[in-house]
Amino acid sequence: MGIKDKLKTGIQRNLNQKYIIRLLDIISKKPALYAYGSTFSSLSDKYLNIFTIESLRNAYSDNNYPIGYGSLFLPYEMFHALGITPFLPEVMAGFTAGLGLATQTLKESSSNWYSQDLCTFHRSASGAVELDIFPKPDFVITTNLACDAAQKSFYIHSVKYNIEKNFYLIDVPYEYSKESISYLTGQIKNICMDISSKSGMKLDTSKFKEVISLSNEFRKWAIKVNNLRKTLTNYPPYYNGLNFILPFHGLAGTREAVILYTQMYKELKKYLDKEEKEKSGKNKSPKRILWLHLKPYYKNEIFDILERENCIIVFEEINYIHWPELDCKRPFESLAKKMLSHFLAGSIDNRIDVILKAARDYKVDGAILFSHWGCRQSNGGARIIKDSLNKLNIPTLVLDGDCVDQNNSSQGQVKTRLQGFVEILNS
Amino acid sequence: MCNNMIQDSKSRNDLDILKNKTNDISAFFENTLSAMDKRPLVGWFCTYTPEELIVAGGFIPVRIFGRKKIIKSESYFPINFCPYIKSSWESLLSDADNFKAVIFTNSCDGMRRFFDTTNKYLKDTPSYLLDVPHLRGAGSIDFFANNIGNMKRFIENLNGKKISRREIENAVSLINRKRKLLKKYSQIFTKLPEFISISSYFKVMELSMISAPEIFTDDLERYLKFIMEAGAENMTKLQPNYKNTPAIMIIGNFITEEKLWGMLSAMNLKLASDDLCISSRYFEKQIELGDDSDFLNLIAERYLNKPQCMRMADLGLKLKEIENNIIKNNIEGVIFISLKFCDTTLYSFPLLKQKLNQLGIPALYLEIEYNNFSEGQLKTRVQAFLEML
Ligand code: SF4
Ligand code: SF4
Repeated sequence: MGIKDKLKTGIQRNLNQKYIIRLLDIISKKPALYAYGSTFSSLSDKYLNIFTIESLRNAYSDNNYPIGYGSLFLPYEMFHALGITPFLPEVMAGFTAGLGLATQTLKESSSNWYSQDLCTFHRSASGAVELDIFPKPDFVITTNLACDAAQKSFYIHSVKYNIEKNFYLIDVPYEYSKESISYLTGQIKNICMDISSKSGMKLDTSKFKEVISLSNEFRKWAIKVNNLRKTLTNYPPYYNGLNFILPFHGLAGTREAVILYTQMYKELKKYLDKEEKEKSGKNKSPKRILWLHLKPYYKNEIFDILERENCIIVFEEINYIHWPELDCKRPFESLAKKMLSHFLAGSIDNRIDVILKAARDYKVDGAILFSHWGCRQSNGGARIIKDSLNKLNIPTLVLDGDCVDQNNSSQGQVKTRLQGFVEILNS
Repeated sequence: MCNNMIQDSKSRNDLDILKNKTNDISAFFENTLSAMDKRPLVGWFCTYTPEELIVAGGFIPVRIFGRKKIIKSESYFPINFCPYIKSSWESLLSDADNFKAVIFTNSCDGMRRFFDTTNKYLKDTPSYLLDVPHLRGAGSIDFFANNIGNMKRFIENLNGKKISRREIENAVSLINRKRKLLKKYSQIFTKLPEFISISSYFKVMELSMISAPEIFTDDLERYLKFIMEAGAENMTKLQPNYKNTPAIMIIGNFITEEKLWGMLSAMNLKLASDDLCISSRYFEKQIELGDDSDFLNLIAERYLNKPQCMRMADLGLKLKEIENNIIKNNIEGVIFISLKFCDTTLYSFPLLKQKLNQLGIPALYLEIEYNNFSEGQLKTRVQAFLEML
């Protein structure tokens, strides 16, 4: 049994916080951490896993830094500037799927009256909170950017830990306008001030500047990665752009994100150089797929099937850099603009623009929208997305499934639908 | 003895006649129902839409209730999507021409996508989305007032006419009057559950949202006058009958099932309070316009501070509102009814359940669909719940 499998079965058998802390203690010690990292075949995955373990280690440790639960689409620069250790329950829900714990967490959420029709990222996270396997937060910060779920489930977490007074919602307006920027800037600023006064962690301008410039640095490398992928067809083994959700969001504004994206760029560049050299040797060019929304985080066959069928994911909308460079002199306003410019805020047109741009830039042959059960914001726009891509003659597959709950999608059906789609692409 | 019995049955008979009369909503609201108002209609969906501005613009605000039978709508939205939205889309697909415009709010993810769908596939129907904040502080009120200002401009553009302050004042007092009368009606309804059926109550609520407000309020005023007189006279006779029925509160979202109301009307329960967007969340709280006040801010203030919908950020405050109502109305049981796939409502239940447990109030949890409503099953569950109480 490899180290990854050992970790998995260990947690499955001992699902409690004590065990998780012990495990993180052992694995986050330098030699063990790097040994663990080197079990990943690509450099990007290695850094991803090392930084994830370190981030979890911080969240689970008693290091006196306040812990902040944060929902996915927050500007995490504010956490890092305030010295708050972020913990992202939705991302962790993906882990519960990967570690084979989701059946337990989902069951727990059902017994706490969460309807089975709600998004499993939130249900699984809520189950984990109820089972006490997540660290106890000092602050709960959330936003309604993208969807309604986080503002509701996170409030329930704050009640569970009796910290409703430390619950903050960043309410993202519908439109990008002068008034919206000022409404949002005011909120971000007030929240930062409030947290700073409650936590005693000074809101240090120079720290904020440093975080903002690290965020810009990460942004620069992420754009370089995205540009390079416009022509790349050969990826490192097991590379999957949908795995980098934690660093892309939760580590924005840290040195780790900069390192990870620099390394990713270098690694992919090597593949690109090699590919260009061997160009003449390639016989059949693969079908280029644009991936929309997220993917299942439990063991599944989707990407193996696509590979076997000579399809590659050339881009995932979630990796699109939607925000302008942040301004060190106006940190709060910059973060407000970062949120407001997100393509999942407001009208579906914002998302369609990004999708159509990506479809052209990455010269895609087809798109797959993974229709995660319970995600109203995404699935509610599926018809419009499909029709818009069809206008560009890009076939789109709306693939029903569930990112977290293995029992809520049929592998057989997924396979049939994927194969049918590939046939259309090849016809 | 015999005389007494005759007397008794005669008065019971009179009472039944009176009850039937009181529940003949079509008769009392004949003017409302037959009104031939020539003003164009503006459709709306969510109780955060300031109807006042629609009226001030010269239109009749009509809440879209949707068609129960969903056929075409199904291909636009996923299977697990709000049934209210699907049925409203069904009605827009067939009746959009009846409306001069349609006003949406960003009440939930579903509504945002519904607005997008209308924009894409019904391009000829002017539609507008009012951005309603999820927070209630001073910043939110200013921001909301600004958005209401934009909505006002949208309405002005519909017929190329500026809305004057006077027109807004008139519209505000008209809608205030409607809200005041509805509140009064609701109070009487909870006091005289034997007299006014649950079906009638919700029928009147529905009419209040789909009719020309001037005619409706006149009808409602007449109706209330009748009920108050008749009710006061018969109060003592009505009293003993409902004393032992459990006081229930219904909490939910856009519940408009006539069959459900009919079923509840026939059961032994007293609907003593509700938290629904077709009832109290619609009519509670007035707009207080001052002399030289900024009316947009005052409108914003009323809408953000009315009994809040589950979509708002502060679930704690919502629970407090519910708790107050439970205590004030001596509620003995809560029926929670949500339309399926309504995330904001469904997410409120875990905490609501905790709160009810603390208060020792039993709760019945129901999720329903528009066109897939199993009456028998529901009846058994409600009956079992009432028996338990
Ligand atoms: S998958 Fe959809 S519903 Fe779930 S958290 Fe993400 S955006 Fe929200
Ligand atoms: S019932 Fe719920 S899901 Fe449907 S429109 Fe209203 S808030 Fe949205």
